[in-house]
Amino acid sequence: MPALTDRAWSPYFAGALLGLLQIPAFLLIGTALGASSSFVTVSATLASLVDPAIQQIDYAAKHLSGAKNWWQVALVVGIALGAFLSATLSGTRRRGIAPVWARALGTKSPATRFALAFLGGFLMLAGARIADGCTSGHGLSGMAQLAVGSFVAIAATFAGGIAMAHLLRRV
Amino acid sequence: MSVLSAVLLGLAMGVVFGFVLEKSRVFEPAVILGQLQLRNFLMLKIFLSGVAAGLVVIGALVASGLSGLHPKAAIWTADIVGGLILGAGIALAGACPGTTLAQIGAGYRDAWFTLAGGLLGALTFTYLEPTLRPVLLEGGAGKLTLDKVLGIPFPWLAFGFAALIIAGLIALERWRPWRTEVGADADGLLPPPEPSAPAAVPAAASRS
Repeated sequence: MPALTDRAWSPYFAGALLGLLQIPAFLLIGTALGASSSFVTVSATLASLVDPAIQQIDYAAKHLSGAKNWWQVALVVGIALGAFLSATLSGTRRRGIAPVWARALGTKSPATRFALAFLGGFLMLAGARIADGCTSGHGLSGMAQLAVGSFVAIAATFAGGIAMAHLLRRV
Repeated sequence: MSVLSAVLLGLAMGVVFGFVLEKSRVFEPAVILGQLQLRNFLMLKIFLSGVAAGLVVIGALVASGLSGLHPKAAIWTADIVGGLILGAGIALAGACPGTTLAQIGAGYRDAWFTLAGGLLGALTFTYLEPTLRPVLLEGGAGKLTLDKVLGIPFPWLAFGFAALIIAGLIALERWRPWRTEVGADADGLLPPPEPSAPAAVPAAASRS
């Protein structure tokens, strides 16, 4: 039986639970699970404090208000809380930088890692917004709805990810 | 639904989402990098299990008439170009947009830089969207789903596709048991790869 204090659950059990989260998303919010558009809602809201003109951009305006947009922002904030709770219960709280990066980058320099993380985050969200979805929206949700565009987007995501990962050192 | 109740529901669902992501270990950078270097298949197992469960659940919601589909429009250039850039970003971040937040919750410091980069990436796209729209973000096939292409009712195709994924997962588990892939510190980091000298082959074979 999986316990809340376990360090790891079976990937099949955990994956199935993620799929079940579609039920409240579909029935109560009228949308599928997703994560990346919340980055537009938050960044455009912050930008509007210094540049109110951003509200004239339709794409920004569409993301700035409404229950669905702020539901997704709350969802990703909740992800951080839930992960904190789980790691605390199982004693797997992390500190610093994961040891895999010293292997992948060939250096323990935090500055190198921080710079690459920033670049990675930038590309990740720029790409997700061009494709209109990420591993959650196109992956979990799009493929579970048999959306043709999502199959194409996820194939391209794995292709881009595998190519870039092979430029790093073998972990 | 009011914004306040949507936010409270989002928080509650997010806590479950984040809790399960942490237990699944898919938020670990070594799991994601290991998958993309085709060395560790934990990420694929979690991802495909999530898709299979989603197919069953959404198939049942559609069959019972409780809900319709909410697919994204297929825009070929955007899906391919965006997907490639997204994938490259995932490899460098060692995270996806959602698991970045799980990394922050679990305590990884570099995830704050991923988050900051992500916010700037989303903002940059927002400012460029009116320019990119005519070149990259238009055309395509609309909200096309495979059941329409094949002329099979969605629930049947969804259940059949889920069964196919489950069969694939059973084969994957026989090939690579998940308990090994979780790793000693539950971070998906496997023993360092052996140098490919001929003498190392028997040792590597006996260990795997």
